[in-house]
Amino acid sequence: MPQLTWIIALIPFFPLLGFLLNAFLIRNERQAGLVASVMVALSFVVTIASMVILASPLTGQPRLSVMLWEWIRIGSFRVSFGFVFDQLTAVMALLITGVGGLIHVYSISYMRGDIRPVRYFAYLNLFVAAMLILVMADNLLLLFLGWEGVGLCSFLLIGHWFERHSVPPGIVPADAAVKAFVVNRVGDAALLLAMAAIFSRMGSLNFFPNQQLGVPGYLERAGELAFTNLDLGTFGAIGLISAITFLMLIAVTGKSAQVPLYIWLPDAMAGPTPVSALIHAATMVTAGVYLIARNHTLFANAGGTSGWIVAIGLLTAFLAATAAATQWDIKRVLAFSTISQLGYMVVAVGLGGYVAGMFHLLTHGLFKALLFLAAGAIIHGTHESQDMRKMGGLKDTMPTTFRVYLIGALALAGIFPLAGFWSKDEIISHAWFGAQNPGAAILLMLTSGVTAFYVGRQIALVFYGKQRDNTYHAHEPDSTMRNPLLILAGLTIIGGLLNIPGLHFLATYLNPVLEEREVVYDTGRIIGQVALAVVTLAIVGGAGYVGWYLYAKTFVQRIKLGKDDPLVRYLGDLWRGAEIGWGFDWFYQRIVIRPYREVSLFLGDVFDKQGIDGMLVDGPGRLVGRMAQSLRGAQSGFIRSYALMFLVGVVIVLGYFVFRS
Amino acid sequence: MELVVFIITAVIAITGAIAMLLSKNAVHSALFLLLNFAAIAVLYLLLRAPFLFAVQLIVYAGAIIVLFLFVVMLLGAERSEDDHDLLANWQRPLALGLAAALVVEAGYVLFRSRTLAVMSPTSDDLFAEPEKIAAALFTKYLLPFEITGFILLAAVAGVVVLHMQSQQTSSQA
Amino acid sequence: MIPTTYFVMLSAVLFTIGVVGVLIRRNALVVFMSIELMLNSANLALVAFAQARQDVGGQVLVFFVIVVAAAEVAVGLALLVAIFHTKRTTNIDEISTLRG
Repeated sequence: MPQLTWIIALIPFFPLLGFLLNAFLIRNERQAGLVASVMVALSFVVTIASMVILASPLTGQPRLSVMLWEWIRIGSFRVSFGFVFDQLTAVMALLITGVGGLIHVYSISYMRGDIRPVRYFAYLNLFVAAMLILVMADNLLLLFLGWEGVGLCSFLLIGHWFERHSVPPGIVPADAAVKAFVVNRVGDAALLLAMAAIFSRMGSLNFFPNQQLGVPGYLERAGELAFTNLDLGTFGAIGLISAITFLMLIAVTGKSAQVPLYIWLPDAMAGPTPVSALIHAATMVTAGVYLIARNHTLFANAGGTSGWIVAIGLLTAFLAATAAATQWDIKRVLAFSTISQLGYMVVAVGLGGYVAGMFHLLTHGLFKALLFLAAGAIIHGTHESQDMRKMGGLKDTMPTTFRVYLIGALALAGIFPLAGFWSKDEIISHAWFGAQNPGAAILLMLTSGVTAFYVGRQIALVFYGKQRDNTYHAHEPDSTMRNPLLILAGLTIIGGLLNIPGLHFLATYLNPVLEEREVVYDTGRIIGQVALAVVTLAIVGGAGYVGWYLYAKTFVQRIKLGKDDPLVRYLGDLWRGAEIGWGFDWFYQRIVIRPYREVSLFLGDVFDKQGIDGMLVDGPGRLVGRMAQSLRGAQSGFIRSYALMFLVGVVIVLGYFVFRS
Repeated sequence: MELVVFIITAVIAITGAIAMLLSKNAVHSALFLLLNFAAIAVLYLLLRAPFLFAVQLIVYAGAIIVLFLFVVMLLGAERSEDDHDLLANWQRPLALGLAAALVVEAGYVLFRSRTLAVMSPTSDDLFAEPEKIAAALFTKYLLPFEITGFILLAAVAGVVVLHMQSQQTSSQA
Repeated sequence: MIPTTYFVMLSAVLFTIGVVGVLIRRNALVVFMSIELMLNSANLALVAFAQARQDVGGQVLVFFVIVVAAAEVAVGLALLVAIFHTKRTTNIDEISTLRG
């Protein structure tokens, strides 16, 4: 069995091969889709096999690792291109290849007739490859390669329809792609700084010791360096681990769309819906949570940073949920919802509940992907309308879609016994009992209420009432699109079993990696947890029903394209504020983008064109021209003038010689 | 005695020159120039150069002035200049000023320099009689003499060519 | 004997008058005449020095100058005639193709 550990390298290899095939060889749309899907499916199979090997007692080590080659060696800086496969990686890889595979199959039908399908599938495969590299990297630099890679693919896929000037609800795809990339860059810079700090103070970028390379691992040194400080000269000194984890937090805010760098995710909906499903629900945005989980030894020793993490997570969860409640575009609701749910995960890992965070990551991956794909079915079925004011009554015309969407929506809201209920509850319980932070728990419960509200609202707007726009005939998706939906729906229903309190399969599985304290279920804990669950269910159920009722019954007549939401009348500016994501985008536009543009224009027009071009480049030319022009006057063509000049010369020279004595 | 002659002749020469300068009629200018040439011929005599006196009168006064008069008549150039001056205003005074400066410099050299003052004329009156000139011309300066022949030939050829060209252009016109 | 200096001074004055003539007058022929005047003044100076040094070579040189001057006048006037065939004016300011 140990001899077979090299197969883990196949996991990212297959999608990479698919990318190369689609990029250079394949021209046919059908072949492209097929190849891409098969590659991801192969990856999935190898992942399962790797998990078997990992679990087998014949393998002596705690993790599978393979070093492909020595990547960089500059003095003591040594980095390998190597993969590691432990339980944390396994779980992520399963999600990526499994859900990714379903999304690939779905795309075959969704992207039929698209303007450039082969490129789409190439990038989709490249994305999966990059994400797998990210989760399988055995050192931070390789992880960063994957990190940047998914950022790049996100850019490429969001801007898939780059030629369009606007897609619903009024976003320019090319701009959205650039925005995603640039905002992520801020996070990437922070991650680079963190890597620099880790390498210089902790000795290496490898997570675990590597004999072949001769480098130690830094994760195990986190405890001993807990009290070392980083001297910043005139700025004083800060805790080393705190600084590193804070920088990582900034990176997480970028990649996992937290406050204040989340602004790229709502606009990223300009990409094709399966892209939104894969990248912005199930995988890329979860890279931040994975980063924290992987570096949990650092975060466990970083005192001040945990407070920041929790604060950011809570703020994000709540604000994004309110924003989701005010959107008209079906995908934008899901976008803000993702941001909000990511906030939950961030809160979880911030409070030390790594298992709870990963659990929610997995379940969210399932039901959010389901929701996005179903939304895609709706969009196709309603002839490309995305504004929910144009929908309505689809319950009867698209029954299967309605059912799967409902499953996903209820899971998102956290209704028993769907997967979302269990994972959200884990987080809330951990916050209250495990981390002794009731405030966080209460805020999360309130956020769940808002979540349920917007879920109900969306269900009502899309499926209930009468179809408001009669320019289309709603139809169900074909089987290639429907089957992945059904599979995901099924998984959503049973997903909770993964980590049911008491049995805690996931916790046990991840324990070797995350080393969390086992939950002790004494009577107090059991009663408390059940009570929390009941209260949360009540809030959720109530809010959900209210949301559904308002939009299915009370306001149903007042929903019209172009008109405001009826609740604007009661909530006024609060509603509008939530609708624009509480002004972060506006703030960046005014304070960052516009001055930057002004400065650029100034530098371009004034400094460059007038200053450098005008003065330094054209200037000497014009000067010479003008000098020549004025000197031209002497060339009058009049002989007499020339003769006069002779005389001048003669007199002067003669005078010099004559009066010299 | 000779000094008186010199002064009178010098005055005539200068007057002729200035009159040539100021005369509005080109024919008058040529005639005043003729007067000037004659004065200079007399000055040659004063300088014990009889041969040159003759040559000056024959060539300059007799041929060159005549040539000038022919051309003036041919071109009808005896009219005065009626166009206004195209040169800048400052050029005329500058020219006059510089000319004055030139005279001053020459004067300075002549009357202050010691080497020139040392040169005083000696007494041989016949050092340049025609025989001696002829002797020098055909022995010591034979080569330049022959070359001047060529120069004259070239001049003749040139004049003929120019005449032919101007004939061509006028027949084309 | 008249001091050589006087002759040379006279030569300088005549030369200057010739220069002024070249610069001031616009009739091409008068300009030419001024040039001849300048040549003559030079000749005068040469003869004066020849007499002062009792060297006949100076006078021979003057002879050559006169010959060349004659040739030059012939060619020059032919040129003037040729030019003024086209220009139809004797104003030398009109010959400004060297302009620029």
